Amino acid sequence: MSTVSAPTTPASPVAHRPRLVSSELLKVTSTKMWLGMLVGVVIFIAIGIVASIFAPEQPGLAQPRLTTPEGMRNLFANAGGAYVFAIIIGALGMTQELRHQTLTSTLLAEPHRNKVTGAKMAAYVVVGAFYGLVGVVVGYALAFVLLPLKDHTAVPGTALWQIAGGAILGSALFAVLGVAVGTLVRNQIAAILGILVWVLLIEQLVVTFLPSVGKWLPGGALAGVLQTTGANGTTYLPVWGGALVLLGYTALFATVAALTTQRRDVT
Amino acid sequence: MTHTAHTMPGAIASGGSVGQPIEVAALTKRFGNVLAVDDLSFAVAPGRVTGFLGPNGAGKTTTLRCLLGLVAPTSGTATIGGRRYDHIGTPIRTVGSALEATGFHPGRSAVNHLRIVARAGGVDERRADETLGLVGLSESAGRSVGGFSLGMRQRLQLAAALLGDPGVLVLDEPANGLDPEGIAWLRAFLRHLASEGRTVLVSSHVLSEVEQTVDDVVIIARGHLVRACPLTDLTEASHGVVVRTPQTDQLTAALTAAPGVTVVTQSDGSLVVHGADPAAVGRAALTAQVELHELRAATSDLEQVFLSLTGGATS
Repeated sequence: MSTVSAPTTPASPVAHRPRLVSSELLKVTSTKMWLGMLVGVVIFIAIGIVASIFAPEQPGLAQPRLTTPEGMRNLFANAGGAYVFAIIIGALGMTQELRHQTLTSTLLAEPHRNKVTGAKMAAYVVVGAFYGLVGVVVGYALAFVLLPLKDHTAVPGTALWQIAGGAILGSALFAVLGVAVGTLVRNQIAAILGILVWVLLIEQLVVTFLPSVGKWLPGGALAGVLQTTGANGTTYLPVWGGALVLLGYTALFATVAALTTQRRDVT
Repeated sequence: MTHTAHTMPGAIASGGSVGQPIEVAALTKRFGNVLAVDDLSFAVAPGRVTGFLGPNGAGKTTTLRCLLGLVAPTSGTATIGGRRYDHIGTPIRTVGSALEATGFHPGRSAVNHLRIVARAGGVDERRADETLGLVGLSESAGRSVGGFSLGMRQRLQLAAALLGDPGVLVLDEPANGLDPEGIAWLRAFLRHLASEGRTVLVSSHVLSEVEQTVDDVVIIARGHLVRACPLTDLTEASHGVVVRTPQTDQLTAALTAAPGVTVVTQSDGSLVVHGADPAAVGRAALTAQVELHELRAATSDLEQVFLSLTGGATS
């Protein structure tokens, strides 16, 4: 190539507001991580659906069976499993920026940190919702293919739509929670380990064995949104109640995360 | 890496990028017990390349981070065209900066890195390809930054700084990791940018790295200002005449009889004369009938001046 002449493109302002959100979305799509996590969503949900249909009855825990409406709702609630990956990719989205010090470039382009944090959370709403949607499509498709192999009852269409909506909403909100956790914890390994221990261990135990407390936790609230029924007929918050609790957690964590970044020195 | 495209900048400015002055006033930054920057004041003029110099740990990066709104000053101000960084709307269109600890995601391509910054800064994304061309990285646009050499990363940083076609450039140690060819290229590039009227502030811990590039120097040590002056002031300070004679006292007396001449006796017994050229010193020696063993113009050793100004490496 030869010499470069005058710029053909003046560095003119691009005034539309979602510039920060679109920048954050390009951060996600310009590396391969989101695809890897999406593969994780598909595998995780496929295992959940297959296990729910074919797993032998567990002694001790009287799980609702596929011959009951509760059992069928539980089966389809497996399609909401994307939230686990949504919260992790949300956390990674922030901790990777701190680890590779790429956040500095963004803060130089937009020094108002609340705007940056807000844009990142908005972008991860999109990412989380997309994961939730893929999870629903894969989970429902697999369930409909495999269900004829087993005795089962019918499930009302409205419940299926509600569970699908809850799965997408839950995944979107958990992605935002992930961004907030990543912002607060900052260390990538600590954030991911903390999230995995919390979501897959502590919360599962509390929600299963202490549902009166567990239903108020984020995962328990999501169980309510997904209309699951626990062992021995335990029920969680109603759909709207679970959604409100989940929104509350998300708003709380997002606010705390935004406040802590407001004055922090970027060195 | 390949330096395939040693493009000269060409006309980078689209006309609207007039440089604005940088002003640092009584800037102080304390990290816990460490006073990183202590009551620092200096100004940087447009149309010139200013070297921001000091040994490692002198507070250069902290000062630049205060200027760029990344670090909150404990007291004092650092402004660009009279405005704090976060008061400049879409700042990368006014100030382009490249900081040492600004990173890249190793799995992201160079052009995508720039597009992300362009979008966030409200700059047309097509500038990503253009600025890659300006720094000679067009052919590596689609490659992951993880495979880039340090020199290529420095060029990518520079491309990011140029995205908004800014009138002010703030570059932290831009010559680090560049080979001699790359440093020569950077020198021409920065000179060109300043000639277009832009304000160019370049930090370095090695004066010799930038002495052929800068017009002005701002030298700091331990968070304090040491000197802020045109580079030529330093050069003159380092000029002098080295003279060796067994009759030191007589020659000193003869030389200092003239106004404005100073003589310093070096540890090796030679004299360094300021304020007189070698011819004048020789004439004075002849008149005073002093025997000379050596008479020469001192080589300009800016690095020595720099070290003495900043208190040397250790003392």
